[in-house]
Amino acid sequence: MEYQIQLDIFQGPLDLLLHLIEKDEIDIYNIPIALITDKYLEYLHTMQALNLEMVGDFLVMAATLMQIKAKLLLPQLATEDAAGTEEEDPRFELAQKLIEYKKIKEAALSLQALEGRQAKFYTRISGDFADQKVAPEQDGLKDLSIWDLLEAFKVIMESIDPKPIEAVPKQAVSIKQRMTEILDLITAEGRIFFKIIFNDVRTKIGLITCFLAVLELVRLHKVIVLQDALFGEITLSLPEKVCNNV
Amino acid sequence: MNLIMVRAIIEALVFSSSEPINSKTMSDIIGISEHTVKQILTDLIEDRIRTQSGLHIIEVANGYQFVTHPECAPYVEKLQKAPRNVGLSQAAIETLAIVAYKQPITKAEIESLRGVSIESSLNTLVEKNLVEEAGRKDAPGRPILYRTTRQFLKYFGLNGLSELPQIPEWVDSAESLKFGVEHDGGGQNA
Repeated sequence: MEYQIQLDIFQGPLDLLLHLIEKDEIDIYNIPIALITDKYLEYLHTMQALNLEMVGDFLVMAATLMQIKAKLLLPQLATEDAAGTEEEDPRFELAQKLIEYKKIKEAALSLQALEGRQAKFYTRISGDFADQKVAPEQDGLKDLSIWDLLEAFKVIMESIDPKPIEAVPKQAVSIKQRMTEILDLITAEGRIFFKIIFNDVRTKIGLITCFLAVLELVRLHKVIVLQDALFGEITLSLPEKVCNNV
Repeated sequence: MNLIMVRAIIEALVFSSSEPINSKTMSDIIGISEHTVKQILTDLIEDRIRTQSGLHIIEVANGYQFVTHPECAPYVEKLQKAPRNVGLSQAAIETLAIVAYKQPITKAEIESLRGVSIESSLNTLVEKNLVEEAGRKDAPGRPILYRTTRQFLKYFGLNGLSELPQIPEWVDSAESLKFGVEHDGGGQNA
């Protein structure tokens, strides 16, 4: 929780860095990198202890700081070679970024002032039409009516078998028997809907038997299964009806 | 149609419009010059301030709009059940400031300036219709460019981007952004 508060204060690594620099009244173009890096890391450790997830952006800056620190510490070996193209202060880029960020903060501050000023103006519509217009867009359920709910409930009611549970038939129908029945039905009708064959079945074992019977028929190429569209009705028919060659 | 009547009509038009209405629209409706409309509006605005009316007319987003007097705000607030917009978060306003002054700008460019990921604050701004997409940058990956909206001007009570608070050193870039083409052309000729 404490970390959340810090997040509010510091909008990011640049913000934190700027804070550290301004607190100690440091010249932005002459940042004592070692000192600032230490302070920055100190902060980072506190943050990490509190929340590991959101420190990614801060870690990148820590790496940059340490890189700059390392560059400054290393003795300039090739002074003669680099005489022409004078080595740029590794802190320069960071200083540029900080200055740019400082301007952003200034800009944000003046925008905030404008925001505050404007918030005192109430427009005529803010109380009436505007609210009505905005509200339905905010929830994604704008088109749902009571009838949609009723429809949904009906589907649920239908899925629950309203008929009272009867005595479990003692003699279960065998898969083979079911296969014959289904095949007869298809032969008679030409093609049938997949769900039709489950119509009179009310027990779990009966449903499974039925399904296995269909699978077996498909495996034996005695029946083919078709679907006209995604999630559409599944149709069963005899192979001859589709493939005349067979 | 006498002047008093025209004045009344203009007042009525500003009042009845749910969005800031511009002087051109009013001049078309009434059938008088835009210049006259503007003159009458200036007079109306001053009149309301002078008589300390509870309703003011302000010029915003290149149009005119009725608003309540700022000093009445605490009372109006009591009438409206919930306190209105809580204001943008610090993160959102920083992102918005970058878009406002540097537009059109890509997400990556904003992130580089702020030094943090701006995914959520940019989404908030787009959702609030303060920032919108402005095509794609001609760069690898063709990243989406963002700019501020008319709603942005309304939200901050600005007439145009030129009214943005001036930030030292940014003034140049903001101006070149708006008149860039003309300036470049002039420079080349000279």
